[in-house]
Amino acid sequence: MSDHNHEHHISTAGQLWAVGTALLILTIITVVLAKFVAIPPPLDVVTAISIALVKAFLVAAFFMNLYWDVKFNAMLLIMAVIFFILMVSITLLDTMYRNDIVPSF
Amino acid sequence: MANHSTSHPTHVHHHFVDSDQQFDTAKLGMWVFLVNEILFFGGLFCAYIVYRAWYPELFQMAALELNTFWGAVNTVVLIGSSLTVAMAIRSAQKNQMKGLKINLLITIALALVFMVIKGFEYAHKFEYGIFPGEFYTYDGIDHPQAHIFFSIYYMLTGVHALHVIIGIGLIYWIYRRAKRGEFSSEYYTPVEITGLYWHLVDLIWIFLFPLLYLIE
Repeated sequence: MSDHNHEHHISTAGQLWAVGTALLILTIITVVLAKFVAIPPPLDVVTAISIALVKAFLVAAFFMNLYWDVKFNAMLLIMAVIFFILMVSITLLDTMYRNDIVPSF
Repeated sequence: MANHSTSHPTHVHHHFVDSDQQFDTAKLGMWVFLVNEILFFGGLFCAYIVYRAWYPELFQMAALELNTFWGAVNTVVLIGSSLTVAMAIRSAQKNQMKGLKINLLITIALALVFMVIKGFEYAHKFEYGIFPGEFYTYDGIDHPQAHIFFSIYYMLTGVHALHVIIGIGLIYWIYRRAKRGEFSSEYYTPVEITGLYWHLVDLIWIFLFPLLYLIE
């Protein structure tokens, strides 16, 4: 955060189109894998989420400019993800180890 | 620094050292808000994960009611709108005001396409009595907890759609300001900040699409 004299990064149109095209191709891949390739149950979710994570990385790094931005903003996003994982983990520690699910749940 | 009171460009507020500091501060503020947004949606995703862990078979049955084709089209539409927002920011940075306005208008058009498709999807479900919670009357899914999937579906997609609607309003506001000539390569902070918000709306959908539509 120390140097405020940096130039703002300007992506070239080619770079932005490349990212957009990559996102489009990944979308097609994830649909084809889910609909036309029989991946066994735990792995299909892992594949779909992995592709979504790659897409999210592309958007955050190159559309939201985190790749060229001050690192503090990237840290904020990473902290949000960590706290989300923490929230889900602690909740699952409860819900996955109940003897009986509350009937109306 | 020494004579900063006289060298301030008009868009720089008094309490900032210079334009760059103001830009970085605004961006930091927006990222803090986006963190808040991620954790807000995080609560809904958490409900999704808990219920999917409890009733994996329900999620497979219920996902068949969702139309993968239109979900995929909407994914492409949102990716396209993210691209045009990025192009709009690039235009502003290069002082190309015409490009800025055109890209903002295309973004609004794509966002409207997204909402129209979403509207048709909702209307189609309402016809079958697929409503959230206790209003659920559809009997095509043989599972006692079928209404829960759709409660989660409507909450996630509904809150997301609300963000899209707010985004349309914000981008239109940016467009109006661009038309009045308020932005230049020297000052485009509101364009950048609104762009960040719009990319987050895209980010959320990137996860919603496989989680809701692509379960086999």
